[in-house]
Amino acid sequence: MNNDIRRDHYVFRRYAALAIKNLRRRPVRTGLTVAGVALAVTVAVSLGGFMLGYSGAIDKSIDMLGFQVMIMAKGCPYEAATMMLKGGTGLLYLPAETYEKVKTDPEIESITPIFVGVAEKQGSSIRDDGGASNFSIISGIDVPSYKVMKPWIGFKKGPGYENGRWFSPGARNEVVLGFEAAEYEQRKVGDMFYASITPAGKPDATMHQFKVVGVLDRTGTQDDGTVFMPIEVAREYFGRPDELTILGIKLKQFNAFKMREFENRWLKLPEVQVVGLQQVKNTLVSLVATAQTMIAAVAVIAVIVALIGVINTILMSVYERTSEIGIMKALGARRGAIFQLIWLETVIICLAGGIAGSVTAVVGSGLVERAIKSVADLGLSGSVVNITPAVIGYAVLGAVVLGFFGGLYPAWRASSMRPVEAISKGA
Amino acid sequence: MRDIVIEAHGLKRYYDRGSETVKALDGVDVSIRAGEIVSILGPSGSGKTTLINLLSCLDAPTEGTLFVAGKSVAGLAEDELVEVRRGVLGFVFQQFALLPTLTVTENVELPLMFLDRRIDPRRTREILDRVGLSDRASHLPRELSGGQMQRVAIARALIADPKILVADEPTGNLDTATGQSIIDLFKRLAAEQGLAILLTTHNPVFGYAADRVITLHDGKILKEETPQGRPALRQATYSGN
Repeated sequence: MNNDIRRDHYVFRRYAALAIKNLRRRPVRTGLTVAGVALAVTVAVSLGGFMLGYSGAIDKSIDMLGFQVMIMAKGCPYEAATMMLKGGTGLLYLPAETYEKVKTDPEIESITPIFVGVAEKQGSSIRDDGGASNFSIISGIDVPSYKVMKPWIGFKKGPGYENGRWFSPGARNEVVLGFEAAEYEQRKVGDMFYASITPAGKPDATMHQFKVVGVLDRTGTQDDGTVFMPIEVAREYFGRPDELTILGIKLKQFNAFKMREFENRWLKLPEVQVVGLQQVKNTLVSLVATAQTMIAAVAVIAVIVALIGVINTILMSVYERTSEIGIMKALGARRGAIFQLIWLETVIICLAGGIAGSVTAVVGSGLVERAIKSVADLGLSGSVVNITPAVIGYAVLGAVVLGFFGGLYPAWRASSMRPVEAISKGA
Repeated sequence: MRDIVIEAHGLKRYYDRGSETVKALDGVDVSIRAGEIVSILGPSGSGKTTLINLLSCLDAPTEGTLFVAGKSVAGLAEDELVEVRRGVLGFVFQQFALLPTLTVTENVELPLMFLDRRIDPRRTREILDRVGLSDRASHLPRELSGGQMQRVAIARALIADPKILVADEPTGNLDTATGQSIIDLFKRLAAEQGLAILLTTHNPVFGYAADRVITLHDGKILKEETPQGRPALRQATYSGN
C-alpha cells in the first residue's frame, strides 16, 4: 500500500515535471495565459474580500456604536444611521424630554443620550490645507451612560497623553479627542482646541477655546474622528438646550419580537422613530449588494474569458505537439498517460494563475480599497476589503477546479490521437 | 536458429478514399528473427511506411495475420496495440523526435515514465555509453549534431530493453558518414543484444548493409535479398516446409 502511494507520488512528480517543462517551451504564451487567469482571480479575490470586508466593516461599525436600537427624530433612519457611522450634516433633533420618557421603559438595559453637531475649525488646525475637512464632528455625551454603552473605550497612553480623563464635573471648556481627531489636529493632552460653532438661529459663529483633557485609543469607528464634550455644554453652544440627536439603547433581551414590542410602545411619540440597527445593517448591506452583483458578473466574465484562453492555449500546444504526442504513444504512453500530461499542464497554468492572482489581490487590496471608497461613500471608517486565507484558498481551489474542467477537452483530444496519424502529421 | 519475433502472413492495409480503395499494402508475408537486421526498400508510395507501421503495431492491418513477440496483433484496437508495443518495441524516427526542453538523459529516460518503470541512472549511463554519448548527458537536443540526436533517439529506444527496434528512415537527415555510423551501431546492437532491427531507408547503400533486404513495389514484395551471401529467411523458412 505504502509502496503504491510512493510509486504514485513518484510517477506524478515525473509527469508534473514534464508538464512544467512543456509549458516553459513557450514562455510568452504560457505567461500571458497565466496572466489572464491571474487577472480573473485578482478580480474574484478582491470581490470576495470586499464582500467579506464590507459586511464585516458594517457589523463592526454598528456593533461598536454599542447599542442595538436608536431613537431619533423622524426622517430617513438610514441617513441618520449613516451619519452616526461617518458623520455628516443635515441633522435632525428631538426634544430632550424624550430621554426622560423612554428611559422609564422596563425592557431597557442601558440608554445614553447623544447630541451631535458640526463645528467649523477655523484656523484651529496646523494642517488646514485646501483638501482637508474644515469641520469637526462634535458629540455631546453623557459620560456615565456612554461608558456603559461602550465599555471598550479607553485613553491613549504614552508621552504627551498621560493623565487622559473624561471631563471634570461642571467643566465647560474641556474636550476629549478621538484618536484620529487628535492625530489630525496634532493635539495632545493639555493642548488647546479651537472650534467655531454657529448656534441655532444665529447668523454668526462663536469661537470657543477648549482644553484637551484626554485622547481616546483607536476604536476603528467614527468615534476616532469625533470631538467629545459634555452633552449639556454641546447643547448650549449649539443653541439647542432642550434637544438631542439620538438615544442609543440596549435592551435586556434583544430579538425581533422584543424589538417590535419596544417599537410599538414608543412609536406613539409623534416626533420620534425607532430604528433597529440590525435593520440598518441589512439595508446598508443590500444597498451595496447590487453593485456587488454587477462586479461578480464582471468577475464571472473574466473567469470565462480566462478559461477560454487556457483551453485555447492548451489546444494550440496540443496541435503543435501532435507528432510528439504520437511519438510518446509509440514509446508506450497509454491514452491515460497523455490525458494526464495535458490535463496537468492545464491545471498548472490555472494553479499558477490562481496563486499569482491571489498575491496581486493581496498586494493591491489597499489600492482596491481606495478605489472603492473614492467611487462610493460607504459610511464606514474601517477596512472594507478583507482578504482572508479562506478567500485565497477558495480562489486558488476555484482556479484549479477551472483547470480540471478546462483541461478535459484538450486532454481528450490529445489522448484520442492515433499514433500513426499523429506522427505522420508532424513529419 | 533464433526465435521469430515478427511473423506476418497475407498482410493487407487498405484505405478508403471516397469511392476509391487504396491498397497501400496488398498481401505481404514477412518473418523477422531476433538479432536480424531487415531493411525495407522501395520508392515513395511503395508501402514501406505502411508495412513498418503494421509490423510495429502503430497501425492495424485490414486483413492478414500478424504475430509480434508471440502475440496476435491483427484486429486489435489502439488501446490493445499499445499494450503490445510497451517494452517490446523501440522506435527511432527520421526527425529524431526528441523533446527540446529535456536533456539527453531525460529524453532517454522518457519511455520509462510511460512504462511505469523506475529510473536506474546506472542503466541510463550504460546505454549512453553504448551509443557514445556519455559526455553529452546533460546537454539539450539543440546543443547536439544530427548524428548525436539520432544516437539519443536510439538510446531512448533501447532504455526499455525492447526485443525489436523499428527505425523509420533513421539516416534520412544525416550525412553519409554519420548515417554509416548509425548503421554500424545497429549492427553492433543486433549482434550483441540479439535485437531484431527493422529499418526503412531510401539509401540503398545503408539498405544493403542489412542482413536481409525487402524491396516493395505497389504494396507488394518485389524481391527479398540477403546481400551478405546468406540465404534469405523466407527461403530458409520455406525450404524447410
